[in-house]
Amino acid sequence: MDRLKDLPTLRIRTEDKVSFKYQGRALEALGGDTVATALFANGVRIFGRSLKYHRPRGLYSLDGECSNTMMRIDSVPNVRAETTSVKDGMNVEAQNGLRRQGFDPLGFMDALSWAMPAGFYYKVFHKPARIWPVAARQIRKAAGLGVISPDFEMAGRYDEIYPHADVCVLGGGPAGLNAALSAAESGLSVILLESRPWLGGFFDYRSKLHARAAELALEVANNPGIRVFTNAPVVGTYSDGLVTAFQRGSKADCFDERYIEVRATSTVVATGCIERPLLFENNEKPGVMQVGCAHRLARSWGILPGKKAVFSVGHDLGLEAAIDLADLGLEVRCVADVREDGQDPRLVGELQKRSIPFYRGWVATQAKGWNRLRSVTLGSVGGAHERRFDCDTLIASAGFTPVWGPIALGQTKMRFDLHTGFFLPERMPQNMYAAGRLLGLCDPASIEASGRLAGLEAAAGRGLDVAARMSAAREELEALPGTVRGSKLAMAPVKGKKAFICFDEDTTVKNIDQALSMGFDMPELIKRFTSAGTGPGQGGIPGHNLPLYVASSMRYQGEVRPTSMRAPLVPVLVATYAGANHDMAKRTGLHESQQAAGGVMERVGVWIRARRFSQEKSARAEVENVRNNVGILDGSTLGKFRIHGPDALKALQRVYVSDMARVVEGRMRYSAMCNEDGCVIDDGVITKLGENDFFFTTSTARAGVTAEWIRYHTRYDDWDYSIVNLTDAYGVINLAGPNSRKVLEKITDADVSNESFPFSCVRDFHIRSIPVRAMRLGFVGELSYEFHVPASFAQSLWEVLEEAGKELGMKNFGLEAQNTMRLEKGHVILGSESEQRTTLHDIGLGGLWSRDKARWKTVGAVALTHTEHQRGRLKLVGFKMEAPASKPPLDGSPIADGRVKGYVCTARYSTALSQPVGMALVEDELAGEGCRLPIFEDDCGGRLLYAKVVPMPFYDPEGKRMKS
Amino acid sequence: MNCERRSPVTLPGRPARSEKRDGWNVVLEYEGESGGPLLIDLSHGRKWDLQDVDIARFKPFGMSIPDDPGQSRLENGILINRMGRTQASIWRLSEQVPDDTADPAFTETTEGQLLLALAGPNIFSITEKLTSLEFDDSSKVTPFLLFGPFSHVPCQTVVLSRSKRDGVLLLACSRGYGRDMTHAILEAGREFRLKPGGENGFAAAMKEIAG
Repeated sequence: MDRLKDLPTLRIRTEDKVSFKYQGRALEALGGDTVATALFANGVRIFGRSLKYHRPRGLYSLDGECSNTMMRIDSVPNVRAETTSVKDGMNVEAQNGLRRQGFDPLGFMDALSWAMPAGFYYKVFHKPARIWPVAARQIRKAAGLGVISPDFEMAGRYDEIYPHADVCVLGGGPAGLNAALSAAESGLSVILLESRPWLGGFFDYRSKLHARAAELALEVANNPGIRVFTNAPVVGTYSDGLVTAFQRGSKADCFDERYIEVRATSTVVATGCIERPLLFENNEKPGVMQVGCAHRLARSWGILPGKKAVFSVGHDLGLEAAIDLADLGLEVRCVADVREDGQDPRLVGELQKRSIPFYRGWVATQAKGWNRLRSVTLGSVGGAHERRFDCDTLIASAGFTPVWGPIALGQTKMRFDLHTGFFLPERMPQNMYAAGRLLGLCDPASIEASGRLAGLEAAAGRGLDVAARMSAAREELEALPGTVRGSKLAMAPVKGKKAFICFDEDTTVKNIDQALSMGFDMPELIKRFTSAGTGPGQGGIPGHNLPLYVASSMRYQGEVRPTSMRAPLVPVLVATYAGANHDMAKRTGLHESQQAAGGVMERVGVWIRARRFSQEKSARAEVENVRNNVGILDGSTLGKFRIHGPDALKALQRVYVSDMARVVEGRMRYSAMCNEDGCVIDDGVITKLGENDFFFTTSTARAGVTAEWIRYHTRYDDWDYSIVNLTDAYGVINLAGPNSRKVLEKITDADVSNESFPFSCVRDFHIRSIPVRAMRLGFVGELSYEFHVPASFAQSLWEVLEEAGKELGMKNFGLEAQNTMRLEKGHVILGSESEQRTTLHDIGLGGLWSRDKARWKTVGAVALTHTEHQRGRLKLVGFKMEAPASKPPLDGSPIADGRVKGYVCTARYSTALSQPVGMALVEDELAGEGCRLPIFEDDCGGRLLYAKVVPMPFYDPEGKRMKS
Repeated sequence: MNCERRSPVTLPGRPARSEKRDGWNVVLEYEGESGGPLLIDLSHGRKWDLQDVDIARFKPFGMSIPDDPGQSRLENGILINRMGRTQASIWRLSEQVPDDTADPAFTETTEGQLLLALAGPNIFSITEKLTSLEFDDSSKVTPFLLFGPFSHVPCQTVVLSRSKRDGVLLLACSRGYGRDMTHAILEAGREFRLKPGGENGFAAAMKEIAG
């Protein structure tokens, strides 16, 4: 198709040719084209098929207000062709059964519309239940809008940005531009968000206002106080001046889409209006389009919407478009205006000058044709007269709908305004100001003046003294033409069998009538019952007509309000919300060496840790090496804290169950913390560094919340203590195994013999020149040292230990081996052997609880008293599999004897015992020694595994090895 | 065996000049550093946490603790950030100053924290891609401290100087986040040509601040 040339309003670059594919066919577009305009220029008229009835759908709004032009673009389904710029090499495919333009095998669904009345889904799809799985699959196949594979990975570059400003202006039309300028001239920083790729709004494509739009846009661009984001639709507005949006990037940008989160003190909403669809039979046929769509298609993209057109409009912009398009070469057969009067006489005169028939008080009643429009029937609003016109294009619009979504999200109530025919806010949300067409203004000068006033109001809201300027701006606005009387007609005088109130969901006026006759009388309920406005267009098409039509039915006596708006106002890719998606994880100071040694790294909470050092999942070799020789583990993720000050001991007494007064320098004490219910939440060791000065460790998972936990539980006591999180400050290396002392002796002058440095003691010494705090612990049940070392030295210490252990055959071990060994030893890991309801007693750690320190009001102590002998609690038991050759059950497997009576916490094959062992939380009737535990596994096929409760620990019950 | 100390980060640049200092390998300058914003690793600089109910009685390095939380004080290469009613953080940004932190109320946190500096043009265009913290709050006088998520990680951030989108910003977070934090910042800064910078670059920026 030839494009219109030499129009000053054009947004295409004719010298910039773009090649893309549509349905496998190579097509050409121009730079600046959207996919929709490019397809239209290439003769495509059917862009999609509707959800239920598979009716052909065409270009309607150019702003993505409905699902008509959703397509599969570069393998991404449901992309709006109207708002997507065409790019070289793009692959565009139609979706929802459109195999070729003129034929859809499911087109017969339209004839079955009688079988799908309002509430069809609710009434039909619940019985008989057995057909539902089959029916659902078929319906989805027939009706789905796009198909996506579950393992689909979104390509592209996504970014995010969190700018701040004094004022955020939503909308880059004449009102928004003026608001931005007046706020910036007041000295405020301004962010302007515009959903289209350029500024100017409804001035931009109008021949007489285009120059003014360009002038304003230039002024804004040159103002250093204004930051402009074009191609950036607003997604939501929230309290405290939060505005969310997203921006579509171009080739020059470093993103394809980016999420924008603006924080501003004031917000100016100048989002203008969209057109309100006219309701008549077949109002969504390809060839029927909105006034702005037809006008912009010609003026911005140089494409005439058709050859012969009929206009059925309800506002002066429709008349202006008819005149302008006629001048550009469109044959305008006639113009019908639903208004009996109120037209701009100058425009009516211009129509007459061009001999275009003009029908006041007339409206389109029916469009005919299937894949293409053939003719239109116009009728008088009263329904007495009719005329038919052959045409290929019907440009139809009932009136305007203000884009009030950003205001409505501020939880303000919307009320119908009889003069404008708009739903307007009863009162503006705090620090939010409205300007422009959405107030009902139509005169260009008034729109600009209202923008200037709103900008100043925002400045006043920011605390600036702009009273005099505001008063002048208000006077200026009052002297200009005010709001315009709007057309309130919702429905042509027809039955509405195929008059679509919601294109996305194929909801007709008849469906609304059916809902009304069933007693639904409020738009909010009817919306849910008929699905009108629940489609991807977010209520753009039906949002205004639905309440107007319901009001006209007189079924509801209260004041009719529009249905609720919710964010996102415009659909956003989940990938855009994910943004740059930096996966922020913590790595220990030993990470590289773990990886270099073949560590299989896994995310464990916020950390990345080595699970094992071979592909063999049970890490048996690592276990055997520690049991028989010596191994080395990176344990740096442990929580580590210093607590100091005169009341530090009191704070420890409050949160730990043991008597912390018994913690002495040079020794460690193992203890646990409980919550108020006596349920165990953390464990670790505590040592004393000096007077009123302690060091303690927590589990990796609790490290992030420990300081707050202690502060929370001492918040009313006015105690003087300080707590410092040193988790990242120390690397921790665990040297474990019967030969570990031999390794240590080679690299330190300190006396590390069992006599000088016995089990459960802590010593500070140097290894080479590295200062270490060494602890004799036995989590894995062997002679073991835990070295706490300044994090920057951790790698150096690791290398020293590796070197020293080389001749003994020392090897790395990871979390899996550690887990197996501590299981053999009967040591619990909180979270594995406990859950929300597990008390200290339940896991056999009741002995840690000191009953003599009641005066400290230990957290959980009261509950521990009550639950100590409580029946019906799950108790931790050790078990061995009855068949030593069987595999260990999966962690989490239920223990089921007719009903679930517990579950397996951890189970592994024990090399030391040559059979699988495990720990389980079971009901007390199963907790006795010798009890038989029936274990169910997902893949057991009904054959339960059996285990027997045995005493723990399984390995070295006297603890000789770790104390040796 | 060389018992050297390792920074939580290795910036992806080729060091042009570096020196050994107290076991640390400190990069003074990277190749091709000039022009554009710099990301500088200052993790080797000593840092302390100071907590006391009467925190005002302390005069670390001869300096008063700022009166209100959120305020910072920078003198002679020492930065003190008032974090709360009873807590302050102290960062030694210059090697010229001797230590003065013997009181038990001080805890050295050098090892636990990653400390990075962003200096030069457009650094606040980079930071706004990673955080919603308001570094351009006109009601705040530099230097000032803001707590909050930076690339989703809890951080202490201090704006040392600011001129529209340019300036100097310090950022401290848990050491373990070092690799991902620098990766996130460098990635966000790519469009602004953010480069790794050496300690000399930071010293130059500090000189500029001092006037």
